[in-house]
Amino acid sequence: MLKATLRSFLAHKGRLLLSALAVLLSVAFVAGSLIFSDTVTRTFDRLFASTSADVTVLPREDLDSQLPSGAVQTVDTSIEDRIARVDGVADTHVDVSVENVTVVDSDNESVGPTTGAPTIATGWYVTERSPVELTSGHEPRGPGEALIDADTADNKDVRIGDTLTVIAQPGSFKVEIVGIATFTTTNPGAALVFLDTATAQTELLGKSGVATSIAVDAEEGVSDAALKERISRAIGAETYEVETADEQAESAAAELGGFLDVIKYVMLGFAGIAVLVGVFLIVNTFSMLIAQRTRELGLLRALGADRRQVRRSVLLEAALLGLVGSTLGLATGIGLAFGLIELMGLLGMNLKSTEMVIGWATPVSAYVVGVGVTFVAAYLPARRAAGVSPMAALADAEIAGVGRPLRVRAVVGTVVGALGAAALVGCVTATETSSAASLLALGVVLTLIATVIAGPLLVRPVIRVLGGAFPALFGSVGRMSQRNALRNPRRTGATAAALMVGLALVGGMSVASASMTESFDQQIDETLGADFVIQNNNFQPFPQEITEKVDETDGVGTVVRQRFAAIAARLPNGDRVETGAAGYGDQLDEVANITYAQGDTAAALAPGNMAMDVDYAKDHDVRIGSVIPVEFPAGRQTELRVAALTDQEGGEGFGAQGAMYFGLETLERYVPGGQDSTLYVNAASGTSADTLRERLEQTLDPYPQVQVRDQADYKQLVRDQIAVLLYLVYALLGLAIVIAVLGVVNTLALSVVERTREIGLLRAIGLARRQLRRMIRLESVVIAVFGAVLGLALGLVWGVCVQQVLALQGMTALAIPWVTIVAVVVGSAIVGIVAALLPALRASRMNVLAAIAHE
Amino acid sequence: MSTAAAEHALGRTDAEGIAARARGLTKAYGTGETTVLALDSVDVDIARGRFTAVMGPSGSGKSTLMHCLAGLDTVSAGQVWLGDTEITGLKERELTRLRRDRIGFMFQSFNLIPTLNAIENITLPMDIAGKKPDEKWLDQVIDTLGLRDRLKHRPAQLSGGQQQRVACARALASRPELIFADEPTGNLDSRAGLEVLGFLREAVDELGQTVVMVTHDPGAAAHSDLVLFLGDGRIVDEMARPSAEAVLERMKQFDTIRGTSEDATARDQGVVLDKGAASDQGTASDQGTAPDQD
Repeated sequence: MLKATLRSFLAHKGRLLLSALAVLLSVAFVAGSLIFSDTVTRTFDRLFASTSADVTVLPREDLDSQLPSGAVQTVDTSIEDRIARVDGVADTHVDVSVENVTVVDSDNESVGPTTGAPTIATGWYVTERSPVELTSGHEPRGPGEALIDADTADNKDVRIGDTLTVIAQPGSFKVEIVGIATFTTTNPGAALVFLDTATAQTELLGKSGVATSIAVDAEEGVSDAALKERISRAIGAETYEVETADEQAESAAAELGGFLDVIKYVMLGFAGIAVLVGVFLIVNTFSMLIAQRTRELGLLRALGADRRQVRRSVLLEAALLGLVGSTLGLATGIGLAFGLIELMGLLGMNLKSTEMVIGWATPVSAYVVGVGVTFVAAYLPARRAAGVSPMAALADAEIAGVGRPLRVRAVVGTVVGALGAAALVGCVTATETSSAASLLALGVVLTLIATVIAGPLLVRPVIRVLGGAFPALFGSVGRMSQRNALRNPRRTGATAAALMVGLALVGGMSVASASMTESFDQQIDETLGADFVIQNNNFQPFPQEITEKVDETDGVGTVVRQRFAAIAARLPNGDRVETGAAGYGDQLDEVANITYAQGDTAAALAPGNMAMDVDYAKDHDVRIGSVIPVEFPAGRQTELRVAALTDQEGGEGFGAQGAMYFGLETLERYVPGGQDSTLYVNAASGTSADTLRERLEQTLDPYPQVQVRDQADYKQLVRDQIAVLLYLVYALLGLAIVIAVLGVVNTLALSVVERTREIGLLRAIGLARRQLRRMIRLESVVIAVFGAVLGLALGLVWGVCVQQVLALQGMTALAIPWVTIVAVVVGSAIVGIVAALLPALRASRMNVLAAIAHE
Repeated sequence: MSTAAAEHALGRTDAEGIAARARGLTKAYGTGETTVLALDSVDVDIARGRFTAVMGPSGSGKSTLMHCLAGLDTVSAGQVWLGDTEITGLKERELTRLRRDRIGFMFQSFNLIPTLNAIENITLPMDIAGKKPDEKWLDQVIDTLGLRDRLKHRPAQLSGGQQQRVACARALASRPELIFADEPTGNLDSRAGLEVLGFLREAVDELGQTVVMVTHDPGAAAHSDLVLFLGDGRIVDEMARPSAEAVLERMKQFDTIRGTSEDATARDQGVVLDKGAASDQGTASDQGTAPDQD
């Protein structure tokens, strides 16, 4: 029996090729993402572990928000003496390191990385732990001197003797480059500028006597943990964060991790899609192989093989396929990781591909995924194979599976579909975002399963319509291709399902993103009253100097500043929410149209007052006049009176729960040293917008980190941000389509083999090769379009539901991207044509006589 | 080669009355030492408006002869004409068109496209050509074959005999110059077989068609006007107005001829190599007529 299995596997290796390719792709993405993230984690763990001081004393970070205030938290250097006196401290050092500076050259071009990685200005202090060493020039000896890292110097062509301008929070200052520092470890991708410590304090932090952290070296024999304990006791753990080298490395790695996690999850998303679509392909392949081998299996049964042996034989064949696919996939995954590492290198993150880490989990996951998926996918076909009666060997085998009723599918599909539909209706009508989201997820999964199960039932009605014009357009060739697609609904359904899954995702996501764009557009139209918005590309805050320069620009009428801060508010219903809140300048009404349920802007911005979203207020028992205790960073606290309730769509989101805001004065008082995030600018009367724009652009020329945008530009900015999401969707689509095409090719190729005699007969009675190719092409097109229509229909429903759920968060506009949808349908027809190329060629090359004589 | 059959055919008919003609038709499989001659310089004329049967033992080359005459297979040497058209040397595309427009086919089994119903199968060659069938003729064919109430049925809903009748109707529908039937009764019980043979006879007598039928069944051959006997790739005999008994008698001689010829000329290529043609060559013509070898 084993020999028969192996023979069969080898005999069908051509037909299993495409299934193996699907396994390979899934496994490659799984293995690639694991290897990549292991390598990155190992590299940075090593980097930070080797560069962190034994113990580091930092300002306590009590509140965190996605909306940065731009204020740099510092510690007083006076504690250095107190730390130095602690038993077991060998040495202490004042560290100054600021991440949000911009460094420009004499052409006002930023020398920082273009990848979104920060430019870091820091004090020059070399120990054996430093990640850099001076490779040319000399160290900075006072104000006006700086070093730059070698990678940045190379990339931006900066040389010793060049003058650069550093734009920091306290103000801009010029430095001459006096030396180049080269990374001795992996460069995480940031640009570095080194100043002497005293200059760093005054220029970056605005005063001497403060530091961003204090590094402590332990005496020999004193453990980091013990020293941390003692230092905490000496200076008070309430006011400072004290971290050992390990903890420091961990938090540094975690900070970087966010970005790398995204890559990892994207990769795993690809793997997921590949697995999902691959399953259909494998199920289909095995079903067809078994259908074609019915007589052979019947003979095995007639010769005395029992059901279990037949089933085991098929499953063994699947396991072999999985093994081969996984092994090749693992190798491809290593290649993929290698490529990603090289790509990161191009983006400035110098990972070394020679230090690639392949943990034990990688091959284990690869084989579990590869063999597991194949095994599971082959299980049903294997059971069907075991059910072949010995009589099949004798009967003139009608292809198994064609005639079996679809009743079970109809019942299960309807039940699951009804549950899914109910969940989707539930999510649309739900009022709580969290419950709506879980209902949505449930609905999406159930409707997908239902469509997959019921797919074969939809084949007949849908393809009758889709291919309805074929006989009229293409005559008997069209008629035969349409009927061939209808011939085995299970097969057509499963083939189309592979395409459907990917396109349903795309349909849903494109509706969601179009709705998001539309909603933002509407909100910008409704609320933004300013002529211009001055903002950083990444919504990061910028130094005060820029605000001052804008204020001074000729023709500027109103400037309203916006700042953010992390706060924690204790609400009357007992909730303590940590969120971001905004501070606005007094003339807010001139640049924004805010709808108030109660109160007005003047009341909201008055000292000691605040505003909140009316629905959020209702949910948390807040009324006009409620006094809310609010905590700000660095332990500052106050109480604010709710003086206005806003009734605004889209005020929340982006980490700003309750859309809370107050006067800029309030914010500056409790978050000193912050930076503006946005300036809303109106032209003075008598100055045209165009003139002002020109002047503002001139003013901001030395500050490449901010841009002037009018409403149209602003919409475009938001659109571009959403487009990033779309690109990801399209990449997923691409992969899903590649595998789905493999599926269609697979089905057609096996169908062509199955219909060899029929093709021979057609050719004998005069069907030209061209017509035969067209027949197969049309069948392929109708299957692909069927999958696309099913997928898009499902995706549209999902998209509308997503929009309905997000409407609770302010995404109120529903937009259906018809152009995309039509393009996808047309694209799927092209996919069908491409998929049919090889099978059609093969069919037309068949020898007529051999085909007629084919058994 | 000059056989009685060829002389007879040449002597009796003029060019007008000949539907198909072959001269020096040779079909060889393989090259060099292993060359197998399936047809060895055959000369044959197929008379128009007649029912010709081709008989011979397994591997005698009868199916190959039909395939070559019908433009399904290429020839190694010699010439083949359909009417006035020389088909040897035609390109694949021209051959396809020739088969579509001027030849009708019936095979032993699997004659119909399972996705098409009876009438769609019948008109398929004309549909492929983009031609309108001649409705009057079509009606006559359908009625002659008694298919009127079966037209909307799919092949799976038809009996074996009915399927062959549909195939016969398809072969007749476009009024081809020549109908080739390859063991058309091979898969039928005797009653259904007789029915089909009756229709072919009728097609010749009443509708004026020309039919060439390959068979190994003397009873079937007895329905024809003329039987050509093939042996070892050559036409060895012919019989006009045959009866089943006479044909059977003649066929029995093949065994003795084969026996003696094997003794006499031990290296007779035809015999040795014909066996090779049937078993080694994947594309060997006779595989299509499986019962031949049973």
